[in-house]
Amino acid sequence: METLNELLGGFATAMTWQNLLFAFLGCLLGTIIGVLPGVGPVAGVALLIPLTLNLDPAGSIIMLCAIFYGTQYGGTITSVLLNTPGEASSAITTIDGYAMTKMGRAGAALTLAAVGSFIGGTIATVGLVAAAKPLGEMGLLVGPPEFFALMVVGISLLVALAGKSMVKALISGALGLLISMVGIDPVAGAPRFTFGIDNLMDGVSFVAVIVGVFGLSEILSFRRNEPTPVVHAPGFRQLFPSRTEWRRSAPAMARGTGVGFGLGLIPGMTGSVSSLLSYATEKRFSRFRHELGKGAVEGVAGPETANNAHANAALIPLFTLGIPASPTIAVLMGAFLQQGLTPGPSLFTDHSEIAWAIIASLFIGNVLLLLLNVPLVGLWTSILRVPTPILTAVILVFMVIGAYTINFSVFDVYVMIGFGLLGLALRNLDIPLAPMVLTLVLGPLMERSLRESLEISQGDFTVFTSRPISAVLIGIGLLIICSPLLKLRKPKALMEDPEA
Amino acid sequence: MSRKKIFAAVAAASLLALTGCGANAGASNSGAAAGDFPKKGKSIDLIVAFSSGGAVDTAARLIQPVLEKELGTNVEVINKPGAGGQIGYTALTGAKPDGYTIGATGSPSVVVSPLDPARGAKYTRDSFQPLGRQVIDPTVIAVQPDSPYKSLKELLEAVKAKPKSLTASTTGIQTGEHFALAQIQESTGSEFAPVHFSEGASQATTAFLGKHVDVLVANVSDVNDLSKQGKARVLGVMSGDRAPSLPEIPTFKESGYDLTAGTARGYSAPAGLPADVARKLEAAIEKAIEDPAVVQKMKDLGLQTSYLNGTDYQQFWAGQEDDFKKVLPLVQKKD
Repeated sequence: METLNELLGGFATAMTWQNLLFAFLGCLLGTIIGVLPGVGPVAGVALLIPLTLNLDPAGSIIMLCAIFYGTQYGGTITSVLLNTPGEASSAITTIDGYAMTKMGRAGAALTLAAVGSFIGGTIATVGLVAAAKPLGEMGLLVGPPEFFALMVVGISLLVALAGKSMVKALISGALGLLISMVGIDPVAGAPRFTFGIDNLMDGVSFVAVIVGVFGLSEILSFRRNEPTPVVHAPGFRQLFPSRTEWRRSAPAMARGTGVGFGLGLIPGMTGSVSSLLSYATEKRFSRFRHELGKGAVEGVAGPETANNAHANAALIPLFTLGIPASPTIAVLMGAFLQQGLTPGPSLFTDHSEIAWAIIASLFIGNVLLLLLNVPLVGLWTSILRVPTPILTAVILVFMVIGAYTINFSVFDVYVMIGFGLLGLALRNLDIPLAPMVLTLVLGPLMERSLRESLEISQGDFTVFTSRPISAVLIGIGLLIICSPLLKLRKPKALMEDPEA
Repeated sequence: MSRKKIFAAVAAASLLALTGCGANAGASNSGAAAGDFPKKGKSIDLIVAFSSGGAVDTAARLIQPVLEKELGTNVEVINKPGAGGQIGYTALTGAKPDGYTIGATGSPSVVVSPLDPARGAKYTRDSFQPLGRQVIDPTVIAVQPDSPYKSLKELLEAVKAKPKSLTASTTGIQTGEHFALAQIQESTGSEFAPVHFSEGASQATTAFLGKHVDVLVANVSDVNDLSKQGKARVLGVMSGDRAPSLPEIPTFKESGYDLTAGTARGYSAPAGLPADVARKLEAAIEKAIEDPAVVQKMKDLGLQTSYLNGTDYQQFWAGQEDDFKKVLPLVQKKD
């Protein structure tokens, strides 16, 4: 009860008209910044921090949180409408989001993404209020061996992304792992597969790869003798999801919340892992899994819910342990420090009023995001009224600029084009692209945790089976890999919470 | 009908306009005439070679707003963690020396990584232009609060009796913590099993809190809060005098081990800055480091500001290089 009182106190602080105005402005600016190609949440929040510096602590952090929400949603808008992800965590949304756009369901996709974000974010924030401390400590149970085992579960979901041929999925997955090895060895420091090219020292940029593999290769694959696919702008009535779409989205959002929330608690996990694994989960467990990739609402609702649930759950380690779990959270942490607040358990004892105001503002930010963006869906989708050939040209421009602005480097544009060609080749060979993206994201995390685990055990591989959590996870991974062979019923209960 | 078309045209035009904005922000990359540095609206990247939440990152984020005020433009902190700092340092030294990219540099990681040929580092000491040193952060050794070891002597004796029986964290191969462990092994014969968390102190601390490693080797600032909350039992500080923020913790010397170690952190640019750009950056960094509010916030986090200007920092760096060259074989991979 005391918690509820404090939360209400927080709402009282956060709901002053100034703070509401800051939150509204933050959300709006954030969305606009997010729509810009290549400006993801981290850069977006960093760019707008100066705006917040002269406000009082509560107001400034409330505005920052709102900016953060806005940029995330902005990235989704370009993923769905233009097939160009604004940031890594909505990259996977391009597959079904853009397919929905081509079917004239862009409005529905954007509305569902906003609603999913709202639900995921709100539930994660409720978790923060209700059980921050035990949840934060649960995240700590995941040491390097458990982290590695979790990655094994993630990689095992590759079988779900396989489509017709398992061999082709494995080829695609191995390719992704190979590409993820490019750059300086993350532990010992020696350059790998860089061929003396300095630009490759830092590895290949994930966003450039995604834009190339999914976006560019799709444009390139238009055949000359085929009619150009026409993208329809939805009419007013088509802006909103149909009853069937709502019904189908609900379970996807529930799974997305589970995946995003569970993974968000773990320090070192990134939002893109959550959205990818949510997609893979849909591919494996959704009733409509065969429609995924062809414009299924689950492919938008699941990942978009997951990345927001992840983002809010990631605040739990920050508030309870002072550990920033993701780069965007780190920017928020910087703002805390600027205001003289030290994130961590002392925040609730030393500055409890501000801490609760921030939590209240997370709820408010979520509501604002919904209120602001659902009405604007009509405006965003009107972009699609531009005739298709011109729009395709605009999309190409967006892709090039998006790739360029990642590091302000032309090299990333070449990477994007190169991967566009690779994507085209893979499409022609009927090799699925999603497994490659999955392993590309999971590869580095898997490598790091494997090496750390083996250092802890001093080279003994049984570290993965002798620790209960990691043993269970590895078991789940094996089960998922074997399930197509054994024709097992889907182990649904196991998948709801990957941490269980 | 025509209304729809106009609407569409406006939407398309505004999108293109937005795109244009994005392009402009990055377009003026070349031709940095030094006199007008920094150009308004062109942001400066501050590369941190370790992950967010560690002391390097925290210090950079604290000086960032003062730097912005002094330079009159945006300063963006960018984390490029991995390989114990080498990934970030490679990015820093690979950037154009036009003042729009600077980075946090910490020794020994920045000093040592180019010395070991096995790492294949693309940079040497000469690839950096030191701009100013901010702090020296002594190394500490801590154990779990429920650990049976109550003093440094008990811990080291136990490990000496049973080598590699306890795991100890570092922030990467050949970083300050790795050197500290090697020095301890060299002079006392106590050999820990090092676990390298190559992305930085926040990963090491997280693993320690989850009890996945037995011993936390870190800097004073990393354990300041943990020690107050009773989440870590700090056994010794590797500095000449006790750390002001941990007054009750004995130094190694007091416990009978004459060893000192620590991390020195500052800011550098890629070598080859135009002289007046360097002057401007150096002055801004000095202002930011010495800013009373920043110094106070650093102190609250357990960090003692000890500023050196660019030239002195460069000399300090060269001195460190000589020192670490001698002990490098201790932390080199033998196989």
